[in-house]
Amino acid sequence: MSLDAVIFMVFVFAICFGGFFYSLYLSSKNK
Amino acid sequence: MKSRESFASRWGIIFAGLGMAVGTGNIWRFPRIVSQQGGGAFIIVWLLFLFLWSIPLLTIEISIGRKTRLGVIGSFREIIGERFAWMGTFVAFVTTAIMFYYSVVTGWCIKYFFATSLEGLIKKESTEFWSSFTSSWDPVIFHFFAIGIGATIVFAGVVKGIERVNKILIPSLFFLLVIAGIRAVTLPGAFQGLEFLFSPNLSRLADYKVWLNALTQSAWSNGAGWGLILTYAVYSHKRENPFLTSTTLGFGNSLASLLAACAIIPTVFAYFSTQNFSHEKVLDVMKSDNQGLTFIWIPKLFANVPAGSFFLALFFLALTFAAFSSLISMIELVTRIFMDTGMTRKRSVALVATLGFLFGLPSAISMGFFNNQDWVWSIGLMFSGFFFTLAVIKHGARRFRKEVISHPDIEFKVGKWFDIIVYVFLPLQFIAMIIWWFWQSYSSDPIHWLKVNAEFSVGTVLLQLIVAIFIFIVLNNRITKKIERPSDES
Repeated sequence: MSLDAVIFMVFVFAICFGGFFYSLYLSSKNK
Repeated sequence: MKSRESFASRWGIIFAGLGMAVGTGNIWRFPRIVSQQGGGAFIIVWLLFLFLWSIPLLTIEISIGRKTRLGVIGSFREIIGERFAWMGTFVAFVTTAIMFYYSVVTGWCIKYFFATSLEGLIKKESTEFWSSFTSSWDPVIFHFFAIGIGATIVFAGVVKGIERVNKILIPSLFFLLVIAGIRAVTLPGAFQGLEFLFSPNLSRLADYKVWLNALTQSAWSNGAGWGLILTYAVYSHKRENPFLTSTTLGFGNSLASLLAACAIIPTVFAYFSTQNFSHEKVLDVMKSDNQGLTFIWIPKLFANVPAGSFFLALFFLALTFAAFSSLISMIELVTRIFMDTGMTRKRSVALVATLGFLFGLPSAISMGFFNNQDWVWSIGLMFSGFFFTLAVIKHGARRFRKEVISHPDIEFKVGKWFDIIVYVFLPLQFIAMIIWWFWQSYSSDPIHWLKVNAEFSVGTVLLQLIVAIFIFIVLNNRITKKIERPSDES
């Protein structure tokens, strides 16, 4: 597996995981 | 007016919303489309449309449901006015028409889970098994079970049924997808699949098909514009933040799609690496239709995997969970509308289950009818999304932000970017999808593209959509008068 593909895979999962948990965090703060 | 039920905690709408969005489309459609459209480049554009189409529409839906506390038809009446409430009836009808055949699909998933676990499906010839299954009465029996179980869950109510079941199904589904993904990427040759899936391949960004497929995948997979999350938002708390809930659902749904792709694409590559086949052969498999890939190819692929029978059963269990969690939301959408006319939940669910079983029968019996309905109402969803956009445009995007999305207790506000998305991006994306669809249909079959009695044609879609819209405009007054007025609880 090329370095490009590894970096891109980590980037895409980071966006989705990060977006999911950051949204949850912000909405819990709103309470 | 009777007081509304509401989710026991804010996790209720998160799990129910994820259950609504994560469906069979994540597991069987996303891996197929991402393979055909060049892997990484497609993923970039698909994530972009999450922000430009799905999250804005989900935000609109959640805001409307939380504000009006009514199902889809009543909500449209309150937001856009009585004269245009037929748009809400159309949105509700499109999702109901999908429910009719989605219950059949859920039945197939249950059958295949049991066939793998109890009948040793993995040792059988999968093409023959699929054709003998679809030509028997089994799809009718399993369709009956699917709608029956789904209706029983909805009958139990919002907290004891929908919330409780989704709190079990969704974590289990993610767990199963992670297990299937780990198994797939540890197969010999699987890394070629990951390489194919995640190579950025930026040159493909110049291909317009990548953009349009990414838009349709995002629109259909996130459940944006279906009216489903609007229905769940009726039971949300007043302080629910529509934008943050939408981003949570959008990213969670995207994660499920990526996990499914990591489970399927490396398995396909691993299988073909043992056969010394080329990448082109792999792409041929991924070009199979949804049913072909899932019910014919997947059993063949897992037959070569160590402990394949166990992992195949796990795969169909994940598919069953995904299908059920979405089916439940469709049943609730129709149930909520009947309840808005004053019917009890018990009577509404019984009516929806009976109608669902009867109108799903043609799709359970005839694959031709099933394919036609899947084609027609999937395109109908584009119109549903556009009608939500029109509702906000007529209401005024700025006013919608201030009066419908905002709430005094919510600190995180939606900015002016929302107005630009509503006035520019959402209509543009709808127009682009329609033009592309017309062009694709015309260029692939210039003679029969408008034929009305074809399984797949523009003609059959236009006929069914126009008839539905005509009926709903004619009956508009009668339908909207039956829906009760909202309470002032929001």
